[in-house]
Amino acid sequence: MAALLEVENLSVHFGGLAAVKDVTFSIESGERLVMIGPNGAGKTTLFNLLTGQLRPSGGKVVFKGQDITHKPVFARTQLGMARSFQITSLFPNETVLTNALIALQGTRSGRYRLFGVFLRDKTLQKAARELLESIDLWDKRSEVVSSLAYGETRKLEMGLSLASSPDLLMLDEPSCGLTPTESADITERIRALGKKITVLMISHDMDLAFGVAERIILLHFGEISCEGSCDEIRANQTVKDIYMGSHKASTAGG
Amino acid sequence: MATQVRPGDLLLGRLTRKAVAAPAAPAEKRGAAALLKAWLPAIVILILLLVLPNFVPSYIQSLVTKMMIFALFGVSMNILWGYGGIPTFGHAAFFGFGGYVCGILIMHGGISNFWVNLLLVMVFTALLGAGLGVPAFRVYGVGASDNPIYFLLVTLAFGELLVRVAISARGLTGGSTGMSGIPYPDLGIPGVSINSASYYFLVLGIVVVCLLVIYRIVNSHYGYALRGIHDNERRMQALGYNTWLYKYTSYIIAGMFGGVAGCLFAYFGGVMIPGTMGMAMTDIVFLIVILGSASVYFGPVIGAIVVVGVEYLASVYVPERWPLIMAIIIVVVIMVIPQGIGVLLLNLWRKVSHGSAA
Repeated sequence: MAALLEVENLSVHFGGLAAVKDVTFSIESGERLVMIGPNGAGKTTLFNLLTGQLRPSGGKVVFKGQDITHKPVFARTQLGMARSFQITSLFPNETVLTNALIALQGTRSGRYRLFGVFLRDKTLQKAARELLESIDLWDKRSEVVSSLAYGETRKLEMGLSLASSPDLLMLDEPSCGLTPTESADITERIRALGKKITVLMISHDMDLAFGVAERIILLHFGEISCEGSCDEIRANQTVKDIYMGSHKASTAGG
Repeated sequence: MATQVRPGDLLLGRLTRKAVAAPAAPAEKRGAAALLKAWLPAIVILILLLVLPNFVPSYIQSLVTKMMIFALFGVSMNILWGYGGIPTFGHAAFFGFGGYVCGILIMHGGISNFWVNLLLVMVFTALLGAGLGVPAFRVYGVGASDNPIYFLLVTLAFGELLVRVAISARGLTGGSTGMSGIPYPDLGIPGVSINSASYYFLVLGIVVVCLLVIYRIVNSHYGYALRGIHDNERRMQALGYNTWLYKYTSYIIAGMFGGVAGCLFAYFGGVMIPGTMGMAMTDIVFLIVILGSASVYFGPVIGAIVVVGVEYLASVYVPERWPLIMAIIIVVVIMVIPQGIGVLLLNLWRKVSHGSAA
């Protein structure tokens, strides 16, 4: 079976700085791939290239056999890609329910309807209930998002990304800023997604990374430094050097 | 929260919808009584407007006509500003353009029928919006610039450009002295002729219909997508929304209703001058929206009543001084209720209606 996502020699330069250099990898359908790397390794930049927020300087991104390198963000979502954001990115002035409704409407027909009554759309309401129940936020549906606790906004963040029923879910630091308990909860949720959703995740949180990953890619200075299963990565000397520090690695402590 | 809104924020369109108290969760079921209660103020105002001409002199009736036209003008701009979060300095361009199209069709095109005229005005202003929107949205939004200043300047330039065109195209527009002698509209209904008194009812009818249509639009699927873009355009794109298309079409829709207001204004005064497309008129609609509140649907209606009312009173009692008085009002409103009068009234109404229900 062909890979769900294929990335070939993807690069991007900001002026003279090559933030992502010749990155090549692929994800099989149903796989859970985690990207790790120190701060500034280019993980989020790579993410933005894959989702279309940034245009690459070179290389190719192929999703479901289609070249999407130059497709806009929304078109990629329509194809079955979804992402979450490291910095929580919601609709702060709307209620939790309205957030879910807006997210669900994004990939459904009728999003250009001029005369429907959005808040009374029964199909959407039903879907929103299922979505919010799945992330345990149904009880909070009437609350304005800006009044939610941080942990709840992170859950909603992930929930909104799931609203389009994506084939490829891209999570950018889903446990960013969470307590260990909350982080473990997120790990469980991602594991519970099952094989239907392919997951590509960035994480700083090693418990989360090793808890979720089937395969890990280490990104360092915008390049893939090494790749392998959890055990291989644990044993890998480069990983140890980068994360634990060593006199050989010039970026120790990064 | 109130103290966090600064005048600069208002101008740069960062007026958040936080200003409005927490929106209630959509009720699963709403009875006829609840619906009636929610619409009660609108119905009362409509009835008052219908019987008003029986009790007031004709100059007040004419003043209310003007208020209604500017209310539509303000609400049309608020589709962009309040809902889409797109601040524009060029909305008067559509208003004036609509008026000129109306005038030119009557004076040079020989089209006297009001309905045909109104339809053509909507078509032409929509085309104007479609034309101007393409370059305008190249400088604003995710992927271009988050700073709306470029968009403001571009839209401002479009308005001034149209002013110059109207001054130069003397044969068609009458040049800088403008176009005068636009007659009251011909409805095409035998036995019905429009004069200044009955024009009031025509404006009332058109404005009410337009406000209802806009109300449906801002509460539709499309309308909520616009609100989402206002709050978080990046997220909207990630959710699969073609945000450019929403912004572009909202510019056209807002322009179209602005054109309708301009058309009504052309009949109202019988005169169109180039200035109606430029900065001066944009200022007025800005004031209408700021004073009335961009975060409440009917805000600009209140803004229009205040602005047009004060302008009239000032012109009667202290002619030549009305800009000064208006400036004082703006400063006071921004300092005391920066979210606008609309928010104040909405909260008051909620308090009153909830109090009586409990």
